[in-house]
Amino acid sequence: MKNIFKVGVLSVAMLSAVGCGDFGDINIDPNNTTSVAPETLLTSSLRSVASVVGRTDEMFYTQMWSQTQYTDGSRYVTVNYDFNGWYTGPLADLNHIIEINSNEDTKADALVSGSNENQIAVAKIMKAFFFHFMTDRWGPLPYSQALQGRTNLKPSYDDQETIYLDLIKELKEAVAMMGGASVKGDFILGGNMAHWAKFANSIRATIAMRMSNVNPSLAQTEFVDAVGDGVITTADENVMYPYQADANNQNPWFAAFITRTDFAISETLVDYMKPLNDPRLNVYADPAPLYGDVRGMPYGIENAGDIPNDEISFPGFPAVRGQDAPIAVFTGAQMHFLLAEAALKGWVSGDAQAFYEGGIAESMKQWGVYDDAAFADFIAQDGVAWDASKGMELIGYQKWVALYLQGAESWAEWRRTGYPVLTPAPDPLNADGQIPRRHGYPTSERDINSDNYASAVQMLGGPDELSTRLWWDN
Amino acid sequence: MVFAMMLFVIGATIAQRSVTGTVTGQDGEPLIGASVLLKGTTVGTITDFDGNYELEVPEGPQTLVISYTGFTTVELEASSGTLDVVLQEGVTLTEAVVTALGIEREKKSLGYAVQEVGGEALTMVRDQNVVSSLTGKVAGVQVISASGASIGGSAKIRIRGANGLYGGEPLFVVDGTPISNSNFSAGYRGVDYGNLASDINPDDIENVSVLKGPAATAIYGNRGANGVILITTKKGGKRNGIGVTVNSSVTSENVYILPEYQNEYAGGYTQSYISAVDPVDGKTYNVLNYAADESWGPRMDGSLYRPWWSWFAGDDYGKQIPLTSNPDNVRNFFETGVTYNNSVSLSGGNENTTFRLSFTNVTQTGVIPNSKLGRNNLSLNASTKLTDKLTASANINVARTDALGRPTFGYNGNNAVMSFNQWFQRQLDMDRLRDYKNPDGTFRSWNIRSATNLRPLYWDSPFFSVYENYPTDSRDRYYGNISLSYEIVEGLTAAAFFRRDSYSQRIETRTATGGLDQDGYGETVINGVEDNYEFIAQYNKNFGDFTLDANFGANIRVNDYRSNSMSTVGGLNAPNLFNIKASIDRPSVSSFMSEKVVRSLYGGATLGYKSFAYLGFTVRNDWSSALPIDNNSYLYPSVTGSFVFSELMNSGVLSFGKLRASFAQVGSDIGAYNTNFTYGAGTPFGNFPSFGLPNTLINQDLKPALSSSYEGGVELKFFNNKIGIDFTAYRTDAVDQIITIAVPGSSGFSSAIINAGKIRSEGLELALTATVVETSDMSWDLTLNGARNNSQVLELADGLTNQRLDSWGWGGLSINAPVGGEWGTFRGRGFSTYECNGCAQEGEKIITEAGRYVWENNKELGGVLPDLTGGLRSMFSYKGLTLGAFLEFQVGGQFHSVTRMFNAYSGLGLETVGTNDKGNPIRDEVAAGGGVKVEGVLADGTPHTAYVDAQTYFSNNLFALNENWIYDASYLKLRELSLGYSIPKRVLGDLPIQNASISLIARNLWLIHANVDGIDPSEISPGSNGYVFQENGILPGVRSIGLNLKVGF
Repeated sequence: MKNIFKVGVLSVAMLSAVGCGDFGDINIDPNNTTSVAPETLLTSSLRSVASVVGRTDEMFYTQMWSQTQYTDGSRYVTVNYDFNGWYTGPLADLNHIIEINSNEDTKADALVSGSNENQIAVAKIMKAFFFHFMTDRWGPLPYSQALQGRTNLKPSYDDQETIYLDLIKELKEAVAMMGGASVKGDFILGGNMAHWAKFANSIRATIAMRMSNVNPSLAQTEFVDAVGDGVITTADENVMYPYQADANNQNPWFAAFITRTDFAISETLVDYMKPLNDPRLNVYADPAPLYGDVRGMPYGIENAGDIPNDEISFPGFPAVRGQDAPIAVFTGAQMHFLLAEAALKGWVSGDAQAFYEGGIAESMKQWGVYDDAAFADFIAQDGVAWDASKGMELIGYQKWVALYLQGAESWAEWRRTGYPVLTPAPDPLNADGQIPRRHGYPTSERDINSDNYASAVQMLGGPDELSTRLWWDN
Repeated sequence: MVFAMMLFVIGATIAQRSVTGTVTGQDGEPLIGASVLLKGTTVGTITDFDGNYELEVPEGPQTLVISYTGFTTVELEASSGTLDVVLQEGVTLTEAVVTALGIEREKKSLGYAVQEVGGEALTMVRDQNVVSSLTGKVAGVQVISASGASIGGSAKIRIRGANGLYGGEPLFVVDGTPISNSNFSAGYRGVDYGNLASDINPDDIENVSVLKGPAATAIYGNRGANGVILITTKKGGKRNGIGVTVNSSVTSENVYILPEYQNEYAGGYTQSYISAVDPVDGKTYNVLNYAADESWGPRMDGSLYRPWWSWFAGDDYGKQIPLTSNPDNVRNFFETGVTYNNSVSLSGGNENTTFRLSFTNVTQTGVIPNSKLGRNNLSLNASTKLTDKLTASANINVARTDALGRPTFGYNGNNAVMSFNQWFQRQLDMDRLRDYKNPDGTFRSWNIRSATNLRPLYWDSPFFSVYENYPTDSRDRYYGNISLSYEIVEGLTAAAFFRRDSYSQRIETRTATGGLDQDGYGETVINGVEDNYEFIAQYNKNFGDFTLDANFGANIRVNDYRSNSMSTVGGLNAPNLFNIKASIDRPSVSSFMSEKVVRSLYGGATLGYKSFAYLGFTVRNDWSSALPIDNNSYLYPSVTGSFVFSELMNSGVLSFGKLRASFAQVGSDIGAYNTNFTYGAGTPFGNFPSFGLPNTLINQDLKPALSSSYEGGVELKFFNNKIGIDFTAYRTDAVDQIITIAVPGSSGFSSAIINAGKIRSEGLELALTATVVETSDMSWDLTLNGARNNSQVLELADGLTNQRLDSWGWGGLSINAPVGGEWGTFRGRGFSTYECNGCAQEGEKIITEAGRYVWENNKELGGVLPDLTGGLRSMFSYKGLTLGAFLEFQVGGQFHSVTRMFNAYSGLGLETVGTNDKGNPIRDEVAAGGGVKVEGVLADGTPHTAYVDAQTYFSNNLFALNENWIYDASYLKLRELSLGYSIPKRVLGDLPIQNASISLIARNLWLIHANVDGIDPSEISPGSNGYVFQENGILPGVRSIGLNLKVGF
């Protein structure tokens, strides 16, 4: 009995040692932090710009590049593209920057990274940048209901027109609210708020022009307003993503060519540029070893492996694929061509020809091949020389050349203007065999956001396929 | 059964002569309490502490039946005088089994199925991985092993299908100590470093018992949700002197299965030769497209051409050779692997102290060149009575594994086999590839860009990959326990344990300078420690017709995990300086640590009535540090019952009959740090640090949730136990689990941790045993087990219709848990078929005019879980000879094969040659009557036939068409075979040898049947990925044949 008592005592002792749910700080994660300066979120978001400028598919669509061996991508094999990464990555972080700079409890602490207003302004501009890139790929998107976390785990979609109008509003608000200490963590524009304002206005002008076919009056108003507020027009104001000579932040094409040779300049682009003796061609691509000059790779063919590496031209080194070669996010050349188009439409005063030729000049400057005499010869020749009667075509082609590497913008402008005139891949893998006009929604949406997905397809006005045209593409 | 018989073992009255002897096991250790029975009577006795017996028997021919739990029964002619008997260990279902917490229980009192496998059955053919040696031996246990080419590779185990949304591995417990079976291998492609349970030395295992369903969860909680593998190691026993057992085996391993290759066409993308001008002699030569890693090239008709090596400076420069086939080129890559396994164990003991000490060394070279592995195991089991009532015990296991060049599996540039099967040129001579170094030290490959550009395009020489880009790894492991046990009064014992499992794994990977890829080095060190502080009190008492077994315990578990991982970025700053300091750019480094504590109290009791009716319950409460403090306590019960109805009958046919039923609930928790918000660190941009919001929405309201399992069964034995049937039916409802569900990324998060879901697994398990022959000289025992399981997804979170579990590869192939469907459903690209409400073309494949298949994306394409799994074991012995065979089978279940897809895509496979129905080679131009005939209907239903260019057909039509590459995983395999001979004692004579046996052993001997060519479906997926839904670069199956020698002193 005494022993049983001992066991009882022991048991009670064990109970008190064990039977307690207080674990102190054991479950506090020592590997991560709960407090960071907002500028680190901005840096993270800006690094995601690389995921916009480092894409190939859209460059295939406008036949700037061809695939050399495995040509499925250039034959439109992929229908559904994933957009989730942009929401969970930069958009969530940018939204968080706005939150902590707005919330009364946190906004004072956030001042370490710049004025609240400037941080919010930059975050709004970058949100608009990403959403614009996205809506031009997919069309209707979760927008006003997005990024609310637990509050809304099944965001509904907004149609593209609604998104466009709100992007314009956000960009205007952003520029209007700027003031105070400049932002930190900005490795693209170095915290230069005036430059941010120009970038914002330039995006707004681009958005406005994009809807010129479907809402010409608003397009004109906003375009003119944005230009009036100051836009990027010269190559030295170009917004460039700055890669580094460091594998952690290196040029994606440098990385892609360390071991492989998957992409070459397309025959379509070479065939256009070469007869014009375009000085940019020799920086856009390297000479083909067998011939000593730039040779394009036939676009979108099935048995591409029959064409040896020695007979085609790979993207130029170092201008395109140097380890620290920057890639354009927005350029003065781009703006010049928009202005040329606006002048043609009579939206802005000024000479369409001057804007057009300025666009070519700024593009050549961007690529380091500008020379007064050569430029004069270049723009004087047939096929380049200004002719107002085919102004849109000239603008479209030269803009296409100038947008080299800016696949997303080039694809969008091809859809809007029809230039350059392209023949689809000869061996297409998509249903209708035509160049895609949008991207299909990620398949996850059908599974886990079904109802909203269904209504998004309604808004789309066509099937969730590559062939359905977006709102502004009509 | 022994207990039942003992009731009848009452001294005999007619005794005219005396037989005496000793009953020992094969290891020479005396068997205490073995039954010695005069056949056909109730006359008998049991052996004493030294294994001795003495029995008076009537004059005349008499037969003795000698039996012992866990050993095969032997019948002997009872001559007078001394009759020593050596019993063989067997896998017959034992009567006393080890249950959770190491408590040994009478099997008949258990209310749930428990199936044991003896150590002998596990080690019959010297499988080094305890998990893979369990294959097919226990009903409801599915094992997926890596090919033997992955030396020390992973074996994965799935008990009763999917027991939750993510499936998962069972808990491993060795002598009461939970040990980790983590896996730090690549998931789909990379290097397989083995599952951590492979540190267990199979030679130390006394037996393994597998707890499934309620049996597992009642005591081990949610850690047992996927079952528990309870391993009991060998202990020493009281004996004279020290018993020494030496076991040596040597096996040789050879590749036994490869895809069937075509040997008609060489490398290239077209059948015409390319011409190249030799800059040395200025002449033009026929060459192949060396840059092509496919075999759509010219016919191998003996024409002269310049092979790849003729462009490298040296004696062979400029040589032309005839283009001929090399049918065995792939096979020539492989070597014969050799495995040596040597072990010695010492055991002994007296009244107060017992011990067993063992040492095992395994040295292995693989079939893939430059792969080798060594493992040393040291194990000590000791127990001593400090006083009459106080016993101290220790169990210490140490293992050290070192490996070099563990092969890369899966779709990975370092996997030479993947190149051979998926991206290769059929004419290549392996011996030429073997010279992968030029005289100047640079490297050479067949896959040069052109005759004049000798830089490889896609592939280094396969020998470069294995001799230069090899990984090394090592693992130190120790686990075990020390304990003090005190018998307070008769029947009441209290014990305290300290248990620890600790591992430290180091992995180093290298990419050599001068190859195709940027050179680099990576290093990962992982330390895991689990400590358990355990107290348990047990009470056994008989009250008249009633028995009571009760226990009460408390446990504190502390898990500590740390990892450091670093790799160079941007290359190495000095050639082949495999050191982090050689990183050209800021190296990628990370460190991680986590700590988790779970405190538990538990107790249970089983009440027995007259040894035939039992009712038991358990209850357990856990407190987990990983759960929010308000919700971190959870209690869960279990109830079991068993009824031995044969005790109430007296049938000559039915010798034993039992009904059993059980029910259990289990509470679940979660990994550390999932309830508090933190930012995630990103890659800095230069000096700009970067942080982001987490992608997983943490949940501060998580609660432990209970799920339920039910099980019922019947156990029958007939004809004096010669035939046994054990049947089980179960259902497990995994409800309200803590799961991470995918949420629309547009919420700002990609996933959220919630309490939700209902996965129901139901199934049947059957084990049959039969003693076909049982005489004094001969015995033949058969054991068959089989199981059916069905795991259905009944609910996910609100509004969620499907959870994508995983996806990899082309065509959007994924494995899913769709609501209302089966867990593990494939979705991917399939054939679009014609639907017309039952017209003649219903179900025909839709094709285009040109003969291209029309796709349907996201089509349901079958499931990963098998319908039926099991195995058949046969043990035949005649005098000293034993023949053991083990057949394993699986019916149903599917897998996707990337090997088969690219084998066809690249024109390597046999299916890419041959003739069409016109009698012309399919590789001939369609215009010339060649091409593959494709039949189907056009989109409007019109029947249509087209001839499609062979390359277009295999490379385009079928590429990424997942449905075409999904195969039935059914198979029948002779997995183990052993022919042994026990050398009779009279032959051993005066040698100090107690017993000796030699056996011929074979593993993976014969894949008797499979529904896929060139791939062994039982070994499709090495690495750590548990879904096992595809192979994407399988290593070939390996057959192992060797010799085993066992000597006891």
